[in-house]
Amino acid sequence: MKLLRIIQAALCVLLLLPFSVGVSLASSGGPALPQQSWGFHGPFGQFDTAALKRGAQVVVEVCLACHSLKYIKFDQLKQVGFTEMEVNALASTAGKNRKDALLSAMDADAAKESFGIVPPDLSLMTKARKGYENYLYGILTGYLKDEDKAAVDRALEDDTVSDAEVKELAMLLSMDPHHPDKIREVARRIKSGDNFNKFFPGNFFAMPAPLAADGQVTYRDGTHGSIAQMSHDAVTFLAWAAEPTMADRKSAGIKVILYLIVLTVMLYAVKRRIWARIHH
Amino acid sequence: MFKSIMAWVDERLPITEVIKSQAIEYPTPKNLNYWWNFGSLALMVLIIQLVSGIFLAMHYKPDAKLAFDAVEHIMRDVNWGWLLRYMHATGATFFFIAVYIHILRGMYYGSHRSPREILWWIGVIIFFLLMATAFMGYVLPWGQMSFWGAAVITNLMSAIPVIGEDLVVWVWGGFSVGDPTLNRFFALHFLLPFVVIGAVGVHVWALHAVHSNNPEGIDLEHKDTIPFHPYYTIKDLYGMGVFLILFCVFVFFAPNFFLEPDNYIQADPMKTPAHIVPEWYFLPFYAILRSIDFLGQMSKLVGVIAMGAAIAILFVLPFLDRSPVRSFRYRPISSKLFWIFVVDCFVLGWVGYNPADAVVLGSLPIVYVGRAATAVYFSYFFLLWFITVFKIERPLPVPKSL
Amino acid sequence: MSMVDQHEENRRDFLIMATSAVGAVGVAGAAWPFIRSWSPSADVLAQATTEVDLSSIQAGQMVTVPWQGKPVFILHRTTQQIEAARKDDGDASMRDPEKDAERAKKAEWLVLLASCTHLGCVPQPIGTGEYGGFLCPCHGTHYDTSGRVRKGPAPKNLAVPHHEFKNDKTLVIGKALA
Repeated sequence: MKLLRIIQAALCVLLLLPFSVGVSLASSGGPALPQQSWGFHGPFGQFDTAALKRGAQVVVEVCLACHSLKYIKFDQLKQVGFTEMEVNALASTAGKNRKDALLSAMDADAAKESFGIVPPDLSLMTKARKGYENYLYGILTGYLKDEDKAAVDRALEDDTVSDAEVKELAMLLSMDPHHPDKIREVARRIKSGDNFNKFFPGNFFAMPAPLAADGQVTYRDGTHGSIAQMSHDAVTFLAWAAEPTMADRKSAGIKVILYLIVLTVMLYAVKRRIWARIHH
Repeated sequence: MFKSIMAWVDERLPITEVIKSQAIEYPTPKNLNYWWNFGSLALMVLIIQLVSGIFLAMHYKPDAKLAFDAVEHIMRDVNWGWLLRYMHATGATFFFIAVYIHILRGMYYGSHRSPREILWWIGVIIFFLLMATAFMGYVLPWGQMSFWGAAVITNLMSAIPVIGEDLVVWVWGGFSVGDPTLNRFFALHFLLPFVVIGAVGVHVWALHAVHSNNPEGIDLEHKDTIPFHPYYTIKDLYGMGVFLILFCVFVFFAPNFFLEPDNYIQADPMKTPAHIVPEWYFLPFYAILRSIDFLGQMSKLVGVIAMGAAIAILFVLPFLDRSPVRSFRYRPISSKLFWIFVVDCFVLGWVGYNPADAVVLGSLPIVYVGRAATAVYFSYFFLLWFITVFKIERPLPVPKSL
Repeated sequence: MSMVDQHEENRRDFLIMATSAVGAVGVAGAAWPFIRSWSPSADVLAQATTEVDLSSIQAGQMVTVPWQGKPVFILHRTTQQIEAARKDDGDASMRDPEKDAERAKKAEWLVLLASCTHLGCVPQPIGTGEYGGFLCPCHGTHYDTSGRVRKGPAPKNLAVPHHEFKNDKTLVIGKALA
């Protein structure tokens, strides 16, 4: 009976959870984010070393051109499985030494001049956006393919976009077909060279597609660098960079919870024994 | 040896007697249910917050240029720093879970009724102090939500006629939220928990003067009480075990569940996030504030007053309820009103979480839901008075003893 | 209270003892992260070693580099300085006798923790003291060209911090801890 009561209390607390999750999903507009499977999610999930090493390569060779990861030093990459030699090699591709942080070669003023904004630091990126890893994956893969761009150009060839073309573009751009004017305007901006991304709120932003071609990064482990593969690896690495202590946290957590369960069961037994003196 | 030392001390300071009378033999109702655990649970979280907070302060830097990096330094470099910080952040959430249940338990079983008004008032003061402490603590990581939360909440004071604008500048120590604000909030966030400890001491003192209420809401004879130790020490410990399991699930496996992604972006005074929300424990009050938007010029002031009144009304609650019976177990109408009130708090929270211009259930602007829920919130207190002062509610027969 | 089973009360209750023990382990375990949070953090540990590029230090030249927040003298010794140090190896009057070869891993490089063993002042550069070595300005201790105390109140030779030559040009002071 008493146990039932405590379960009731716990349920009250848990009531909060679906309620806030539901709301946060409902409030984000635009197409649904791709739901990737991330091996490091969940209480037992750990990072895949091979994916981390590949991701580090993508981040250093591609992202670091404009973005920094100011909270990560090259030396720390030993934690994801690189040897000191590999770390040195990776650091030298970025023109750095292994004691340096992963800072972009591009300075803030130059970046502001060419993009209009300073590219944000990526150290915490997977924790700093709604949708987390899936959002970043969506951004990396949400650009238009060349044939999609060609389709947009075709639609605009005669300078007008017919209703049939609006329908086609709506599919292509994952936009609401009930707002043809908006689609027409977006098509014009795409043609003029603005960077369109399905998953970015507002669709246009300063970053041109960073991973634009299959095989853009030649992986050292021989994995084929498709855009999806590179994106997944890069996001995996960024998730590690956002919280390098995650593995420690989870392994400590499992021990702590197991300990607490044992202790609580024992306390419950003692409680029953002591209270038996009253309810006999 | 130990006995003779204790005898010497007891002659000068009666420690043994106080412990014996207040913690061991202290007569406690034997029929308390598990809802009575949440007082000791709140105390446990207070201790977790104090200890983790003091250790965090040893690594934190209350400087607008350094604060955000200092938190990441704690998360990445300090040994077990991630645990200290996640404990403290999750602790704030669990503090409010415990305190809200503790308050609702008091409201349901009539623990605020005579002769426990002062006990109740001290509790409301503690609640208020906690909200202030939590608010200032949330500013310290100096993320976007920290900054804009601080900006919005401090701006509430500008609603005060005549002195409002000057008062806000005084609180900020500048023309906007900035380094001086962060610095003083850190000092107060460090100080207030010790004030809370003092207030908790008085709360317990007041409790022990009038003794615990119980689910029946009746005054108990001595035969219906049991010594606090070992009965309630063990029951409280067991409750703490269960509570800690839930707490640790969040600390270790979902530490960012109650945090907003925007707070992992460093504060930027030039750019407000698209959708700012307070921490969940402020959402119902935030919803009340926002639901007063139909009074033109006066909306802001009235909204702030309504929000303040939503908390302040707890002070007069002991006098609103005129029923001869304390416990809602024997009060058919009050207990239904109570559950409507609880659901209403969740509705207000949901309204507070959503953007002010959200549209729900097809085409219903959420602000209407907010207004209705605000009306329900205050109606609870009015109706409680109304049905008891005019004796509309007929309490069920109450047992004389257990 | 009359219902209390006296027998049960008096028995050493194994369950309660065991639960108390498990609880005590938990409290001690919970204290550990707090205690450990005072130990040097990862960024501090990363400063445990200092790498020095030796290629620009000419013979006879001395540089001072910070290592773990303390000054370290790196002296590129001339042949005369090495000989002066070795000549005195057998000096029986030395307060803290040590052979020069034990102090300088490579004869031409002398690495010293620049903290006087008397009361912790930083000695003055090479050539300021008698014996061609270092003079501590605070209380007048003289160290020779091997950093050994020869005169004055200091009890011990200047300490030689742990150091390794990674290659001909690079000196690493300290042991890596991270």
